[in-house]
Amino acid sequence: MSHGSGAQRSVSVGGLARVEGEGSLHVEVRDGVVEEVALDIFEPPRFFEALLQGRRADEAPDITARICGICPVAYQMSACGAVEDACGVHVERRIADLRRLLYCGEWIQSHALHVYLLHAPDFLGCADAVELAERDRAAVERGLMLKRTGNLVMETIGGRAVHPVNVRVGGFYSAPSPDSVTALAEPLRRALDAATATVDWVAGFTFPDVAGDYRFVSLRSPGRYPVESGRVASSDGLDTSPGGFADMVVEEHVARSTALHARIDGRLEYLTGPLARYALNAAELPPPAREAAAAAGLGDVCTNPFRSIVVRAVELVFACHEALRLVEAYEPPAPPAVEVRPVAGSGTGATEAPRGLLLHRYTLDADGVITGARIVAPTSQNQLTIEGDLRRVVQAGLDLSDEELTWRCEQAVRNHDPCISCAAHFLDVAVDGR
Amino acid sequence: MSGPTGPAGRVVVAGMGSEYRRDDGAGPAVADEVARLVTGVTHLGPLADPLDLLGLWDGAALAVVVDAVRSGAEPGTVRVIHLDDASTGPDQGTGPTSTHGISVAGALRLARAVGSAPRRVVVVGVEGDDFSQGLGLSPAVGRAVPEAARAVAELIGEFD
Repeated sequence: MSHGSGAQRSVSVGGLARVEGEGSLHVEVRDGVVEEVALDIFEPPRFFEALLQGRRADEAPDITARICGICPVAYQMSACGAVEDACGVHVERRIADLRRLLYCGEWIQSHALHVYLLHAPDFLGCADAVELAERDRAAVERGLMLKRTGNLVMETIGGRAVHPVNVRVGGFYSAPSPDSVTALAEPLRRALDAATATVDWVAGFTFPDVAGDYRFVSLRSPGRYPVESGRVASSDGLDTSPGGFADMVVEEHVARSTALHARIDGRLEYLTGPLARYALNAAELPPPAREAAAAAGLGDVCTNPFRSIVVRAVELVFACHEALRLVEAYEPPAPPAVEVRPVAGSGTGATEAPRGLLLHRYTLDADGVITGARIVAPTSQNQLTIEGDLRRVVQAGLDLSDEELTWRCEQAVRNHDPCISCAAHFLDVAVDGR
Repeated sequence: MSGPTGPAGRVVVAGMGSEYRRDDGAGPAVADEVARLVTGVTHLGPLADPLDLLGLWDGAALAVVVDAVRSGAEPGTVRVIHLDDASTGPDQGTGPTSTHGISVAGALRLARAVGSAPRRVVVVGVEGDDFSQGLGLSPAVGRAVPEAARAVAELIGEFD
């Protein structure tokens, strides 16, 4: 929809707005220069921070899982990590491996959803995934098969595919039987082939020739691609514990948006998510993922945000391969959880949600009741960088029609896969004096 | 409790919505009640996104999707909408403007495009009143839950 005339024009596109997701994007151009970029997103973690206060620490994984229907495991894992860190507990290897397997399931279903149903239509000129399915049914079937496989892993380990119920502080309520885990191997082998085909497919898309000057931040864990644990590293040399990083991150509230804007030391913008994980950990990818990345023409670092779909596809290969490795090495943890005795103090959990770093910091009293909670979601950390991308996209695209520019902006937002609850459900581009 | 991934039961009942947004929890509340009233159905939910239906409802003969709606009717009003070809036309469904949003009709169109759609899909809408953050249904919506559950149970009975 286009409004206005002469020196001032505005373009707005209405979209579906489920109540979990409320947001908008507003860009203003004045006399040929982008003056303001404002991505206004609704951020439910802040409601949950208040809700957690006064609740028992062992309730945190199930409560925070409800923040997001796409990445509940991320919230559960960071919640467990924060409580265990506060109580000085380390889980044994078999529990850690099972958590990593569950988390791989979430990466597979989330990345498959984003690559095939949400992002690919942008590159292929399709209005949506339905049009893509009508044009290339085999591709969408491949994506849905990958998503189903991720769901199957989550259901087998977590008890169900959406909002798993088997996760608890200290581990799991029960360890899945070896037979049920072994049964995942064959679907995962097929998924690994499909993921490799996905990299080939998306590598053939046409990408705008742009590069972002990003400060990348992700977990780093020597010898393994980061998923459920690690220290926090950055592309400009930061190396600190999750708790140390949480101390550095300052989130600011601005009047025009309900979303928080995160900066390191209150000054430095940064980006988390696939581009950051890949840039800081490409050497840790297993050979099939490294080979797929090389065949797709990715170097060790990718700074073109539009090519994030290729990096996400490479991470699909990794997640399928890693899940298969963990399935083949599975030993049921016995007992399935370690005891976590309440200790008064603070703890931080940091894990890699599919769309970026997720930090939980809780303060507990001696009875194990949460007295303070802070959740730093990937989307609030990426908010400023997404706005920076939009600024460049609009500045470079001032000669595009309103419709083309709006499309390009939406695509730029989707490059970073903001979470469902923080989704940009409609776009409002106000162009003044272009 | 979510059902198995892959081939679903013959009848699937899915509750869409979030119980942390008050009346948006109407769908899961009705689906829970249906699972108590009717044995043998595959019970899904709470689901945050209709895309979650893909894979979970595959192979079902009947899928009943219960969701809160906001149409301007009296809070608690229950509507039964049979999704046919007319209601899943090209203008219904997904849009390029949403990063994740897809309607139930859109999910059905996508499922049909790849040949995995349930044979019949019915949406049961419960008119909501309060979608603010927090727990608990508003009184009128809470009173409508048993009525909506009975309507779903009758639908399933007629289908059998």
